Amino acid sequence: MAALLRGLRAGRAIRGLGSVVAAPTATTPQCRSLRRSFHCAALRLQDESKSDKPPSSSSTTYHEHYQAHTTEQYTTAASQGDSASDPAAEEASRPNTSYQDQSGEQGEEYETEEQLQARILTAALEFVPQHGWSMEAIAAGAETLGLSSASTGMFYNGAGDLVLHFIAQCNSQLTEILAEQHKQVQLGQAEPKKTADFLRDAVETRLRMYIPYIETWPQAMSILLLPHNIPDSLKHLSTLVDDIWYYAGDRSTDVSGSYHPRSPSSTAHTFLSPSHHHPHDIRPATIQMNWYTKRAALTGIYNTTELVMVQDSSPDFQDTWNFLDNRIQDVVNMASTAKQVQSTGEAVVQGLMGAAVTLKNLTGVNQRR
Amino acid sequence: MQRAAHTALYDWSQIVGPATIRQCLKCKAPARQSSRAYGVIPAPRDTDEREMLHRILRVDHAGEYGANRIYAGQMAVLGRSRTGPLIQEMWDQEKKHLEKFNEILAENRVRPTALLPLWNIAGFVLGASTALLGKEGAMACTVAVEESISEHYNSQIRALMEKDPERYTELLQIIKEFRDDEMDHHDTGLEHDAETLPGYWLLKNAIQLGCKAAIYVSQRV
Repeated sequence: MAALLRGLRAGRAIRGLGSVVAAPTATTPQCRSLRRSFHCAALRLQDESKSDKPPSSSSTTYHEHYQAHTTEQYTTAASQGDSASDPAAEEASRPNTSYQDQSGEQGEEYETEEQLQARILTAALEFVPQHGWSMEAIAAGAETLGLSSASTGMFYNGAGDLVLHFIAQCNSQLTEILAEQHKQVQLGQAEPKKTADFLRDAVETRLRMYIPYIETWPQAMSILLLPHNIPDSLKHLSTLVDDIWYYAGDRSTDVSGSYHPRSPSSTAHTFLSPSHHHPHDIRPATIQMNWYTKRAALTGIYNTTELVMVQDSSPDFQDTWNFLDNRIQDVVNMASTAKQVQSTGEAVVQGLMGAAVTLKNLTGVNQRR
Repeated sequence: MQRAAHTALYDWSQIVGPATIRQCLKCKAPARQSSRAYGVIPAPRDTDEREMLHRILRVDHAGEYGANRIYAGQMAVLGRSRTGPLIQEMWDQEKKHLEKFNEILAENRVRPTALLPLWNIAGFVLGASTALLGKEGAMACTVAVEESISEHYNSQIRALMEKDPERYTELLQIIKEFRDDEMDHHDTGLEHDAETLPGYWLLKNAIQLGCKAAIYVSQRV
């Protein structure tokens, strides 16, 4: 094992040397990755084990070691880089104790790159009203943390990173609020809300988080519509909607009469939930897709309300909340109409069957001869 | 083993962006609202495991749902004949299976497959049309479908056993139990003259091919 690691280290050193020779022709992405892993090297000192990293990023720490002498930006970090290279070599032989969970610090003072990025982006949010959703805001945020504004090089997606980070932050805040409310209900300290009210409150809470940034929000929305940001923003949106429905008590799996676990608010969730006339029959195809239709409906409500909000000028966005109420009411009405249509249909079918049997009796077709 | 897991974690964290990590973590943060002290599936350690478990549950749920619809179709045609009670009995067992999977899906927030309406119609049509071929036809269909499902459960059991039998004990138990039930149905079908159907071999293989395609698609969509 130790021999293997020594061999690995030697391999990395040789690769590092080889890359230094090729360094003058390095392209921008390579520089960025250098800077990125340099940050990692600067921040992570002895305890972080590098033995599990893919060889390429380890070789770049050797890059930095040589490159540091040539780049001036990292003069302060360069001295750290010198000392980091030897511990970096030593770390390979240390057991890996630091990857205990992805959120990083477990009594260690050094953070992962993701945490650093998160801290910078959170700090950058203050500057958004001033600079908009842009690299300037990120640079200003980095500066408040005491980092050089060149650390914005870490963010390949720039403004997109900032917006997505903000959205993820809002979503997790909302999830915490909803979890707290749910706990209150389960402890019996609060009344369970009806589904429509629950949805309305959840969407309103979530949209209110945009109020401090409402001036620049159209810019953020347009950033989210850029093709390379669309997958991420859709993922966040779908997680948001799924979370809201989960806490609203949705346990549908597309089949009526499905088992509804003991959620205290389950009785209140009658809209969009399958009717319970036939608990053991499986519903026809028209009432399926409950899981999907609920989420699609909520996505529609959320997106349209967001659009209304960005151009709303009424006091405390009262128009927006009225719009939201009306949309939710629409969905409730549509759901109950659908249910009525379905039960009417069933009744009609039964009537027709009865008529057919009567006709058969009258014409004597039913008699055995 | 630990190193491999850590490598996997590190690679994963390189691929998935920080916001998504946080999102995924936050998704797992809300307490599992189960009235039982333990859940059927263990809390996933990372997205790969979560994906794998969700895929397994999704396709199993779709399979049970389809089986239900097939029996419903068969009952619609043969319900009042002599084989009615037999088919009804097998159908009731499938209903129990489906209920169990509904429970598991709801508890673990697994997305059901979007093709459920398709399996609804396809299953019913398959059941009804084979039942129109008579009792032997219905039994042949049962044999074919149950054989496919048993094979499928067996491969899932193998996969889970290979990964970590202790971690997935409850899930393995459930799948084994269901697999045994499906094998019983298969044997029942054979006992009741499934093989006497003319064109049995053709029908059986056609149905099994369809089942394989359905399983493949349901895992992904």
